Amino acid sequence: MALILRETRTRFGRNRLGYLWALIEPIVVTFTFYGVLVVANRGKPEAGMGLFAFIATGVLPFTLFMNTVTRVADAVTSNKAMLYYPQVRPIELVIARAALEAATFIAVFILMMAGDALISQRLEIEEPLLVIAGMLAASALGTGLGLVFCALGQVSTIADRIRGPLLRPMFWVSGIFFTAHTVPDNARDAMLLNPMLHVTEMVRAGWFTGHDASYVDFGYVLWWIGGLALVGLLLERWVRRRIDLS
Amino acid sequence: MLELRHVTKIYQTSSGPNVVLRDLSLTLPRNESIGVLGRNGAGKSTLLRIVGHAEAPTAGEVIHHGRVSWPIGFAGGFNGSLTGEENCRFVARIYQQDIDYVVEYTREFADIGRYFYEPVRTYSSGMRARVAFGLSMAIDFDLYLVDEITAVGDKTFRKKCRDAFAARRERAGLLMVSHEVATLAEYCTRCLLLHDGTAELYDSLAEGSAAYEAKVAA
Repeated sequence: MALILRETRTRFGRNRLGYLWALIEPIVVTFTFYGVLVVANRGKPEAGMGLFAFIATGVLPFTLFMNTVTRVADAVTSNKAMLYYPQVRPIELVIARAALEAATFIAVFILMMAGDALISQRLEIEEPLLVIAGMLAASALGTGLGLVFCALGQVSTIADRIRGPLLRPMFWVSGIFFTAHTVPDNARDAMLLNPMLHVTEMVRAGWFTGHDASYVDFGYVLWWIGGLALVGLLLERWVRRRIDLS
Repeated sequence: MLELRHVTKIYQTSSGPNVVLRDLSLTLPRNESIGVLGRNGAGKSTLLRIVGHAEAPTAGEVIHHGRVSWPIGFAGGFNGSLTGEENCRFVARIYQQDIDYVVEYTREFADIGRYFYEPVRTYSSGMRARVAFGLSMAIDFDLYLVDEITAVGDKTFRKKCRDAFAARRERAGLLMVSHEVATLAEYCTRCLLLHDGTAELYDSLAEGSAAYEAKVAA
């Protein structure tokens, strides 16, 4: 708990503006894509979806996932000083960061959707539980993958270097700009190997009436979460003794 | 009481494994002040981190009864982007101490004025040492692990440190690392000499430092 409080302070700086910035950043990203898509006149991706809500339901789970990976991967390296206290264990640094990231994004999500609903005078959440499950899945995937990178980062610097190039393509294949429904049939199966596409689809299926969730395989996402967590925790056990404080 | 059983610590370096501590076994009685001597890289700070459970030994185990402090030194323990006060709050919280008391005690002890409310990364090493030492004294430990930091600071501060520790001598032990025998002499009665991965305990500081001089010269 103390760690979460401490993370909050360092993550958002010492003034209230810091927290505001964390809220603003994803909002700016969403508006940017919104603007680009409006200018490109791509129109509404599927009937019944507001463009802004469409982008937001894509950008937010994805940004949550990415930020969690990045923050968790650096959790130990940037907090080494804290490991001088025996009651602070590496895994707790990881959990503190992941929890903080998730809490922030859920706040951002609620804020943006409330704003959208106010402006469009329309609030339709088909299945709130599905939206929440999707956001939590994005967070869990991010934590698992971040943990794997975090552990590998303790034994080799290569892990940190390949993280960026490895993750960047995720942006294009995770359904931020499209839905699984609009992907050509022959490409869809390959696209659906990516668990983040399932997550985006889930959030949208929960959000919009009429968006079909038939491509979502929650069990498949759970396998990913479980697998990443297992690998991450095993790696953590393996490198725990190797964390170099000096 | 502190007991080390067959403690070995090996660091992997690019030029192969570096054995810092080799099968070290010793028993240190409680409430005693022991100065740790050894040349650079002899494993003094490593020993402190292992005793403080900040780092796990490669092999062997550390057994102690009572509360052991974290290794109080320049490196580690503080988050640079937080203020001195915020760091104190954090430490008080993880040691389940009265937060206000710890903050107030440290602020007074460190006596660094408004810098107490500035980020730690803006501190000089002397200021860091003042806050670190004050903070550790605000919490009751049975064994204090002190790495170098008492060697800094002006005369008044060093006297303050000595007085604060003297008040605890009855119920707390000390394991202190320093290059300066003179600093150790202010605090310690016995001496632990680290050399080539092994350790030897001497009953007086004079004996220990004599052996140290001999080993360094050799």
